[in-house]
Amino acid sequence: MGFFDFIRNLFKNKQKVSIGLYGHPNSGKTTLANTIASDSFGKNIGLPSNVPHETRKVLKQEKVVIKENGKELSFDIIDTPGIATKVDYKNFLEYGLEVDEAKDRAKEATKGIIEAIKWLEDVNGVLLVVDAIDDPLTQTNITIIGNLEARNIPFIVVANKIDDPKANADKIVSVFPQHTVVPISALKKDNIEELYKEMFKKFN
Amino acid sequence: MEKIYKIIGLVKEGNLVVMEGGLSTAEQTELIETTMREIDVEDDVENFIGIDINTLDKDSSSFFGFLKKKTVITVIGPADVVKTVEKQSNFLSMVAEINKNES
Ligand SMILES: Nc1nc2c(ncn2[C@@H]2O[C@H](COP(=O)(O)OP(=O)(O)OP(=O)(O)O)[C@@H](O)[C@H]2O)c(=O)[nH]1
Ligand SMILES: [Mg+2]
Repeated sequence: MGFFDFIRNLFKNKQKVSIGLYGHPNSGKTTLANTIASDSFGKNIGLPSNVPHETRKVLKQEKVVIKENGKELSFDIIDTPGIATKVDYKNFLEYGLEVDEAKDRAKEATKGIIEAIKWLEDVNGVLLVVDAIDDPLTQTNITIIGNLEARNIPFIVVANKIDDPKANADKIVSVFPQHTVVPISALKKDNIEELYKEMFKKFN
Repeated sequence: MEKIYKIIGLVKEGNLVVMEGGLSTAEQTELIETTMREIDVEDDVENFIGIDINTLDKDSSSFFGFLKKKTVITVIGPADVVKTVEKQSNFLSMVAEINKNES
């Protein structure tokens, strides 16, 4: 790395933006992180799964760039483990895991939740990914929003999975009237442009 | 925080904790973190798998005219003990299965 690159990086790091993806297990955080990353540089960053607590360590992808109207927004994506108030290893058995595997997964999941909460100190923007099929008014979502408000971290509520017939994005809008809610499908890549627009507004 | 340890201690013994008002954001966060530390998959006797939290909220308008919720009652219990929760504007009903281990 040349001297001028070094200076330029120093300068860049000063205005570095880290955007955290937060929410319940299985809400679609990793799927959305992949959708954004593949738009940016054609690669996925994590493994999504229908088994809850798939992400058990914070995943960080640097230098993701999204474009909108000729403008660019560059940031790091922080994909966090889903936050819950309970972790029962027996639930994983239904997905065909062996008892030992399930217990390890549960142990890692509890550590992952603590790590996700710790990372709230290090993000400057958040996408709160909510599964539009489920009731949005949960302790997890309330606690995450409370933390973001207390720290003045700008955030967008992402109502995910609107491709599912059972999804009810309006319910999420009605429950969080004072927050920006963007309905998307991370899987089908529906309405991602709209999300980018809001990200430019909030995180620029 | 003393308060959070007390709550978790009671819940681990199988109690439902009913509190007037709500927990602060810092307390909620501490509650989740402490719960995660207390979950022990190897302990098959106690088998603490976490907590469920239910609140009864009432509307109170805030400074900016947004409807803000104010928590009137908070109920914290062992996870999966509360079977059904019904919420209306001034009404919280829960059906819980207690003494799970003895049944
Ligand atoms: N129908 C539908 N399914 C989705 C969508 N986004 C994610 N999913 C599915 O939801 C499941 C969970 O997705 P993940 O991306 O792994 O969820 P996560 O929030 O990262 O989960 P954890 O890492 O466990 O916290 C997977 O089966 C995904 O295919 C969506 O927009 N529509
Ligand atoms: Mg994930």
